[in-house]
Amino acid sequence: MKLGVDVGGTFTDFFLTRDGYAPQIFKTLSTPEDPSIAVVTGLTDIAASLEPAMSLAEFAGGLETIVHGTTVTTNATLTRRGAKSGLITTEGLRDALEMRRGVREEQFNNRYTNVVPLVPRRRRIGVEGRIDRDGKELTPLNLDDVRVAIDQFREAGVEAISICFMNAFANPDHERQAAELVRAELPDAYLTVSTDLLPSIRFYERVSTTALNSYIGPILAHYLDQLRSRLRDVGFDGLLMIMQSNGGVMSPEIARSHAALTLLSGPAAGPGAGLVYVRAHDLNKCIVVDMGGTSFEAALVDESPVMVNEGEIDRHKLALPMLGIHTIGAGGGSIGWIDEGGLLRMGPQSAGADPGPVCYRKGGELPACTDANLVLGYLNPGFFAGGKISLDMEGSRKAIETHIAKPLGMDVETAAAGMYRVVCNNMAQGVREVTIKRGFDPREFPLVVAGGAGPIHSCLICNELEIPLQIVPRESSVLCAVGMLMSDMRHDLVRTFVARLGEHDWDALEAKIDEMKSAASEMLEDEGIAEKDRQYHVKFDCRYLKQYHEVSFVVDDKLIAARDSDAIREAFHKEHNRLYGYSLDDGDVIVEIINVRIQAVGETVKPALGTTEATDTKAADAIKGNRRVYIPEDEAFAEIPVYDGAMLQSGHRVEGPAMIEQVTTAIFLSASFDCVLDRNNSFALYRKGREDLVETALKGATA
Amino acid sequence: MTKIDPILLSVYARTFKSITDEMSMSVEKTARSPILCEAKDFVTGLYDAEGRMLEQTENLPILAFSLAPVCKYLIEFFDGDINPGDVIFHNDVFSMGNQNNDVAVYRPIFFEDKLVAWSAAKGHQADIGGNVPGGYNPRATEVWQEALRIPPVKVYDRGVLRKDVWDLIFANIRFDIVEHDLKAQMGACAVGERRVQALLEKYGRDSYDAHKAALFDATRKMMEAEIAQVPNGTYSGEGKVFFDGHNVGSEFTIRVKITVEDKRIIFDYSDTDAQTNGFVNGTYTSSASATILTFLQMVNPDIPHNEGMVQPIEMIIPEGTILNASYPKATTFGNHLCPPNADAIMRALAPVIPDRVTAGWNNLLCSLTTGIHPDTGDTYVDICFLGQKGGSGGMKGTDGYDHIGMIDASGGLLDQDYEMFEQQTPHRLIRHEYQPDSAGAGEWRGGLGTETIFEIGSEDTQMVTFGDGDFEPAFGLFGGSDGTLNSITLTYPDGTELVPRNKDLIENVPLGTRYHQFAGGGGGYGDPKKRDPEVLAEEVSNGIISSEQAESAYGFKAEQAG
Repeated sequence: MKLGVDVGGTFTDFFLTRDGYAPQIFKTLSTPEDPSIAVVTGLTDIAASLEPAMSLAEFAGGLETIVHGTTVTTNATLTRRGAKSGLITTEGLRDALEMRRGVREEQFNNRYTNVVPLVPRRRRIGVEGRIDRDGKELTPLNLDDVRVAIDQFREAGVEAISICFMNAFANPDHERQAAELVRAELPDAYLTVSTDLLPSIRFYERVSTTALNSYIGPILAHYLDQLRSRLRDVGFDGLLMIMQSNGGVMSPEIARSHAALTLLSGPAAGPGAGLVYVRAHDLNKCIVVDMGGTSFEAALVDESPVMVNEGEIDRHKLALPMLGIHTIGAGGGSIGWIDEGGLLRMGPQSAGADPGPVCYRKGGELPACTDANLVLGYLNPGFFAGGKISLDMEGSRKAIETHIAKPLGMDVETAAAGMYRVVCNNMAQGVREVTIKRGFDPREFPLVVAGGAGPIHSCLICNELEIPLQIVPRESSVLCAVGMLMSDMRHDLVRTFVARLGEHDWDALEAKIDEMKSAASEMLEDEGIAEKDRQYHVKFDCRYLKQYHEVSFVVDDKLIAARDSDAIREAFHKEHNRLYGYSLDDGDVIVEIINVRIQAVGETVKPALGTTEATDTKAADAIKGNRRVYIPEDEAFAEIPVYDGAMLQSGHRVEGPAMIEQVTTAIFLSASFDCVLDRNNSFALYRKGREDLVETALKGATA
Repeated sequence: MTKIDPILLSVYARTFKSITDEMSMSVEKTARSPILCEAKDFVTGLYDAEGRMLEQTENLPILAFSLAPVCKYLIEFFDGDINPGDVIFHNDVFSMGNQNNDVAVYRPIFFEDKLVAWSAAKGHQADIGGNVPGGYNPRATEVWQEALRIPPVKVYDRGVLRKDVWDLIFANIRFDIVEHDLKAQMGACAVGERRVQALLEKYGRDSYDAHKAALFDATRKMMEAEIAQVPNGTYSGEGKVFFDGHNVGSEFTIRVKITVEDKRIIFDYSDTDAQTNGFVNGTYTSSASATILTFLQMVNPDIPHNEGMVQPIEMIIPEGTILNASYPKATTFGNHLCPPNADAIMRALAPVIPDRVTAGWNNLLCSLTTGIHPDTGDTYVDICFLGQKGGSGGMKGTDGYDHIGMIDASGGLLDQDYEMFEQQTPHRLIRHEYQPDSAGAGEWRGGLGTETIFEIGSEDTQMVTFGDGDFEPAFGLFGGSDGTLNSITLTYPDGTELVPRNKDLIENVPLGTRYHQFAGGGGGYGDPKKRDPEVLAEEVSNGIISSEQAESAYGFKAEQAG
């Protein structure tokens, strides 16, 4: 048995696979003060609900693997509840962390203030010692200065220390000397050495990432201790793995020292899961969208999830490779409002889960996206969360009337349709960010739709972007928990190697690559990955001489073995051209290498998704009745059939427009789409007349 | 008349914004000059068939309102001879351009054979001909010593490249990256064209016309509501400019008279000093942009940036003044008249809307070094963005922003990263930190200035300085103190010191010379004695305010901190 556990703001999601059974999903309310409590509650509930029922000890003891995604580090950063930290850095440069290169994100807003630094200035201490740009020592490290810093930190009760020196990417000697002293003097403090975490060029990026790691390191360590002890107490002695923002997993031991890898890891399992579902269609690319209560996330998968080399959290730079997930403030809780110019806007303010939309009857007064969905007929007031929550239609109507319809001089239903349309438009723009802006045509990618509210909006998003195929997995409401069980161990390493491609020292380059491979191999060894299951992918970050931005691209091992600079240059031109529509391959423009990267993958054993038994039912048997629902293509309401999703099986067809209801998800199949259940038993929605798109996925279907 | 659908109106607004953002991304990622891709000194926008601004993505505020006046001018200039596939270049400051180096690309957008819109991208080019590489020529007295003039010219006519015209332009520009960068801007305009056409195919011409008019209306109303909050009356203010690059001790005054009449606001610069004989002169467009960007900082930051926003604003900027030089004066410094212009506006409005103005911002003082990199033998050019960023002024309820730099950019221009700076120049960075006690004291203090030291790493280095703020600090308001002055000092290896003028050209600076710059702090706002003692205690413990200054300026004694 394997279990994926995804902790969200409102719910903790579980995805369980067992040999001989169909996979199962569970949800339990999250416990933000100590998220591990909900994990154990979930285990208890699951054990009791299994057929045949198991004792908790029996169930927990039988789990081989738990993959866990945690938001404790992200939350600690956003709520500023990290560790008391100190920074030892190069004399004269101690303010870089706070200056953030001098940016003010809102240029016309004089009330917009800088973000409070993770380490206050009095605990950012400059020490003498200098390495030059080529790694040569100019001034030796002054250890007395380091001692002064240590004394100050001891006195202040600092829990976490960062060390980051100028040009350390070229020579980490001084950082190591300082680290040795810190370890000897303050053995209990959490320590991050910049070149251990991120030995690459760009001082601000490195110091910011290092400080983030220290800020949340003790928080994560404490949480992992709690979690492990709770799991041990209930009898779990299997393998625990932690989700990273790069879409891979790691052992708790590595997570402990590389805590920053868990920042922004919340949605990182989704894209990999998307890939699993499109494989039923013999495809290896997709766009994955996930619409939750407050946010909408979009990511692109092209053979593997598309990565970026840095991100930001609460305006702090986090320069670690991570999935390129674009988040916008559009969710079920997004509030509709009229701006000063009389335009209808949706979000980014959100009613969240508490008080939530008006229809939740928890005191919300402002109309949210979910309220509009209810008025438009997309939600069944009596079947929300399988009937556990009864929705307040009158409350939703009244709020929309007061805040939207009246000010705009329209009726409630038109106003609700407007809210729906604006939120869908916002989400379509979010999808553009991860496709068109990165040089991909969205029409060539199926849309995998996740999140409870996602499949209500996806048809309109697809109309906007002309995407002809969507896939709604059965498990769409817990897609990340599914993805966790499908993730490999992944470790990204980087070294700066500044040289002109072709004129560079091949021996030195290969030595760097070998050194990274053996470091990565050691990590995988510690994580119990057999040598045959380890793979290494080399990437270069290059640019045209005098350009300011690098382009990362994959370099085939064979090209390195053959020392073929021309072919590597060709690969760079190609990627540059794909991203930006041009390359400078005609002239004699010099290509410069800046960084060399390795992604080490340790392949894990993945569970199979269930396929369904043959049934002799017909799709029509699943019709529960009719409902009056808004059809955006006609800008009018119509009576359309409502299907019980649980009764639809592989091979069944549903003609749009229709509603398909499941316990945790409702799907709105608009007038432009038809649906068929593919061989994974996922809902495949295709543009009317494009049966060709789903032919492959029906092979092996049973009805 | 098509009926206005309020929902569709929101969709149009969001889509226009997404188009200009996408155009901007396209320039940022494809340009090669650091001025475009690192400093982001460019703007992209969409305009309707009459040249009215639909939407824009401004990366530097000073460029934000520089495209629409030219668009209107070239519609008039070509007088109907505008066809699908045309691409037009323009930089000429005597036909509504803002700065010689800022070259704009315009592309007309047609739908069903009718002109419906324009897409445009303007960026600061690495070179534009003239006497000095890069364009900053403190010795210039006429435009031809600064730049190649490009009045409206079609480089593509109905989709066909005019190779002769193209070659004529680039035969007069030094670096070939300028050709690459203008192609990047053309690419962005093509992106804009494609997306506007897709929008029209979806909704039709009538819907587009009606809804863009409604959008202008909605925005105009927002702006009018903001202006209506300013009491009616006429208010005056001044800002000072020191040194025109030629006459030592010269000094000029920008004078603005602001009249508010219900929903309209008029900025009248008629009493401003006459133009200078050097390059310290504005153009109509640079001065209008400076005016709008300063006023926008006093209103709701959510107002969309389209034609409706500027409709209630009138500007009188007479030709022959330092803000609008007459032909053929030199004008390259014109964008940097924005700080004293902003000073004049803030001072004028401070008594009437004290809660919305800021105290004075640190003025720009910048340097540029060129030489031969000893490791590679290649020429390097470095604009020292690192050194030039001081603090903004405090305002009621909010301290000034530390290390933000000139108001023309308002934090849109980034420092070089330290390690990249040492890779790309031969210099070695020794210090880059906040300057303690540089912030003007106040209940709401000014933003901190910075101290920068680096060692010059090439022989026979040439240095150009351009800027101001070394004579007069950023002003305090309502009892707040002034900020500190800008300065640059060179210490040669033999120990001699040189303080360049604020617009200067120094040759043969030897290897090992120490460059030492202070960028001053912003002005404080309100009585420093009223500053929150808890905040002060924190600032003293962080060493950005000394205990001496805490006591002398704020009346704060360390023991109060408890």
